[in-house]
Amino acid sequence: MRRALFLIATLALLAPSSAFARGEFDPTHEFEQHEWVPIHIGPLDLSITKAVVYLMLGSVLTMALGIVLMRWRVQVEPGTRQTFGEQIYEVAQTQIAEQGLPHKAIGRWFPYVATLFLFIFVVNLIGFIPLPLTGETYRGFPVWGIYAATSSLAVTLALALLTFVFTHFEGIRWNGPVHYFKSWIPDAPKALLFLIVPLEILGQIMRLISLSVRLFANMLAGHILILTFIGLMFILETVILAPFVITVATAFYIFEVVIVVGIQAFIFATLSAIYIGSAIEPQH
Amino acid sequence: MIDIVLAEATGDVTDAGKAIGLALGVGLGATGAGIGIGLIFSSMIQSVARQPELRGELTGIQWLGFALTEAVVFYGLLGSILAFVLV
Repeated sequence: MRRALFLIATLALLAPSSAFARGEFDPTHEFEQHEWVPIHIGPLDLSITKAVVYLMLGSVLTMALGIVLMRWRVQVEPGTRQTFGEQIYEVAQTQIAEQGLPHKAIGRWFPYVATLFLFIFVVNLIGFIPLPLTGETYRGFPVWGIYAATSSLAVTLALALLTFVFTHFEGIRWNGPVHYFKSWIPDAPKALLFLIVPLEILGQIMRLISLSVRLFANMLAGHILILTFIGLMFILETVILAPFVITVATAFYIFEVVIVVGIQAFIFATLSAIYIGSAIEPQH
Repeated sequence: MIDIVLAEATGDVTDAGKAIGLALGVGLGATGAGIGIGLIFSSMIQSVARQPELRGELTGIQWLGFALTEAVVFYGLLGSILAFVLV
């Protein structure tokens, strides 16, 4: 064992380390957005970038997943595929929708919450599958790399804005504007109200920030962590680090794929359900 | 000796300060979140040990609390990186 390690280390030292050097390596370059198909309509920039391609792929896969698992050849006695679909549905219903939404609103808002859950899960997951979508080429071949659309703040902020708008729309629709905005004012001594009400309004806006930044920062940090550890080899221009670097990067990769991807999708959907539910029934 | 210290200090002190700030921000954020996550899982273990039949219901709440606490690290990280890059 020890002799084998020694042999590997010697071979690694003999290997031309200059071939490994890619010059300056910076993990943050992986997150830059380049316009692949520029589309500019007036002041709007609708160009197709890396994130957009990943989002399109994610939407197609989400739809395919829903159709294949829950719509296609549905039988009374479910097979493995249908059981899996039913389990996803059950998680979405009992763990997510019924956690936050009141009974009268589940019929209307369950589809939105379940779609959020499935979509974010799929987009997060394809972010950890190496795909030839980095936009770089090496001797004519596309370079394979990992990138998640949810590690871009624009994507998560758009999703959080949806929830934000729906929350207040539903709050006003069910309670009427006067009653709804009155429910923001808590029971407190009158003298303290001028302090508490701005905080309450700030809290509503902070929800938007925390919802979007939580998903964004989680995915960004996960990718940067993996890329940095792999990149240590190129920064220090040596292959000796390979066993250490690959072990640590694999450990983080497994942690991200097994825990973070599912949890973040779950949290985003659950919090959306809770926010919408608390706006529909303000007095809990 | 004093000459050496002075020579060392003429390097880019701003960068050093930024790096210390980044490390402090992430490190302190991670400390707080670490304590919080530990508390969540310890109470989860206690609850399941006392009432094992509630496990299913508690798991959802546990992961919700875990993610809410864990996100605190990333607020610290994001703020520190913003300070590191922008200032």
